[in-house]
Amino acid sequence: MADDVQRVLQPRVDRRDFLRYSALAGGAGLLAACAKKTPLPAAVKATHTPVAQEPGNLEVFEWAGYELKQLWRPYAKAFPDQPPHFTFLTSDDQALAKVRAGYRPDVVHPCVGYVQDWVNLGVVQPWDTSLMPNFSQLDPTKAAAGQIDGKQYFIPLDWGFTSALYRTDKIDPADVADPSWSLYFNEKYAGKISWWDALENLVIAGYYLGMDGYAMDDTQLEQAKQFLISKVHIVRNFWTSETDMDQDFAAGNIYIAYAWQGDWVSMHNQGLPVAYLDPKEGRLSWICGMVLLADTKNYYHAHEYANAWASAQTGQWLLENYYYGHSNTTIDPSVLGKQALKLFPVADPTALQEPKTHIDRYIPNRAAYNQAWDEVKAAAGA
Amino acid sequence: MAVATPSEAPAAADAARPGRFRSWLAAVGILSPPVSWLVLFFLVPIGIVAAYSVGALSFFPGDQALSLGGWERFFRGSIYLSLFWKSVRISLTVSVVSVLLAYPIAFFLALGAKKRKYVLLLVIIAPFLTSYLLRVLAFKVILGDEGLINTFFYSLHMRSPGHPIPWLLYSQFTVMLVLAYVWVPFVALPIFVALENLDQSLLEGASDLGASRWQTFWRVTFPLSVPGVMAAFVFVFIPTIGEFVTPLLVGGTRGFMYGNAIADLFGPGFDWQTGSVLALFLLAVTAALALVFGRFLQIRSVAAE
Repeated sequence: MADDVQRVLQPRVDRRDFLRYSALAGGAGLLAACAKKTPLPAAVKATHTPVAQEPGNLEVFEWAGYELKQLWRPYAKAFPDQPPHFTFLTSDDQALAKVRAGYRPDVVHPCVGYVQDWVNLGVVQPWDTSLMPNFSQLDPTKAAAGQIDGKQYFIPLDWGFTSALYRTDKIDPADVADPSWSLYFNEKYAGKISWWDALENLVIAGYYLGMDGYAMDDTQLEQAKQFLISKVHIVRNFWTSETDMDQDFAAGNIYIAYAWQGDWVSMHNQGLPVAYLDPKEGRLSWICGMVLLADTKNYYHAHEYANAWASAQTGQWLLENYYYGHSNTTIDPSVLGKQALKLFPVADPTALQEPKTHIDRYIPNRAAYNQAWDEVKAAAGA
Repeated sequence: MAVATPSEAPAAADAARPGRFRSWLAAVGILSPPVSWLVLFFLVPIGIVAAYSVGALSFFPGDQALSLGGWERFFRGSIYLSLFWKSVRISLTVSVVSVLLAYPIAFFLALGAKKRKYVLLLVIIAPFLTSYLLRVLAFKVILGDEGLINTFFYSLHMRSPGHPIPWLLYSQFTVMLVLAYVWVPFVALPIFVALENLDQSLLEGASDLGASRWQTFWRVTFPLSVPGVMAAFVFVFIPTIGEFVTPLLVGGTRGFMYGNAIADLFGPGFDWQTGSVLALFLLAVTAALALVFGRFLQIRSVAAE
């Protein structure tokens, strides 16, 4: 085969010509690629295709575990033959990066601290809340947190806490007698600690060192970074998938992990003796919800989906199964029972207030945080 | 490779003009699919990555600013450079170990297994019909703190429960173990090909001239299989320097490699400029290595066989 090709080519195309043609073609391609800057649609479309003419193949960029039908039943009822398609995100930063790189879902489920980043990127459009009957049932304070320039870019839905999950049978009670994030950095448990692979570790370090973790300047950030670098040798792995972390926790590979309350529920249900830290420096907390991509072809489907998520039915299911809060004010948290509500005060209207917890918020110098976190990881490996 | 070989075209080709045009057309026809493929999916992306590395393109629209800052930071003693050397060390170890493990397998298959050799080859490759993730999960079951190996030691009272061998899972060792496991069958193939093409009469000749089996191996078989060994080595070494999936799954904090840094910078790190610098540096080093190996070790002679 190679000989045949060579026989055809040899008399007429020598190597120099070949390279010249290739270079010309390559240069043209490169120029074309550079000239065509990806237009990021920022403007809101004035009119929308009627719902019946929408493709209906709703693409949802979602956290694993949130694809369950129980969380979007009203949508399934409205469009029984058009189940949404899910792709999973591992962190807010990863989701943003993937969309920046060209992935175009219809709806994404980020958290409140990142809404401004999504708007800055120019890929989202405001929701039309008049299309969502359930919107009026949502907590107005949380809804206000989803507005930018008076426009509702974000529908607040699930909310909860971030803290350290730990095995009570493996951790010395003295180390949690005065609960503190120090457990997360305790050298005594070297090799048994797992951190989430996200810049929130810098935030935690910041609060632990007595700073405002979400608003550190360069000097403070450097301090938090150096602190993490000095502690990273005790960390066994950085988890990216919640299920992997749960498995490692259940298998006894780790005793202390960055976790959400759903992880506590999952471990507790498996019969593991676990506790969820309430550090004196404050837990982190989050409100997550939905943003609508600017160039969605499923405008009305997307609204129906967000409306389904905003329903009391979804909120109640989320509460009872993951112990997460929901911004729908008509749900009844008392079903969790006193003990669980003490652990996760989802019924307490002041639960998300400072300084008890530090709610996830926009970090203007997020690039510096990201860089610092990358350096912590590289330093751990190098 | 064959296409770029210098032609020895006779200068007297002017004679047949229509023929010349036709073969020119044929050349363009045959060349254009592979060339445009390479240009579209290799050269253009590299050009774009290069543009990112000097700030001609940027992550956030409107942030473009031409600068060599990314390159400067990279070479001025950044942690990424030391991470690169660490990856080189890991992949050198993996390549050497895989070749050492694969050689006896290839030797047996090529020279000892006779008729059954292709069946056996299939058996070796069989595990690769299952998903990579499943196999890695199996490694976790074996190497975990409550896994097969550790519980075995607990039961023999060689280690007390709660004090597992710390470096079995989530360590550089795990990364190297899994990578070597993944690559051994692929490494065995080029060595197998080199040994299979061995002229058997040379071995007979050696034995006729009184060489022992050991001498025959060292003075005839092994030297003739060196191109296969080198090809196998490069075959593992180059892709594993940029490896990132295995370290992500079983490497833990210490198994973090250069490829993970690149993935992070392009992913959650949002720093496409530094990521591009890292990626281009890796590309340059591997291209240089490929050239060196290609030129001095005559891999092409193996490929042509």
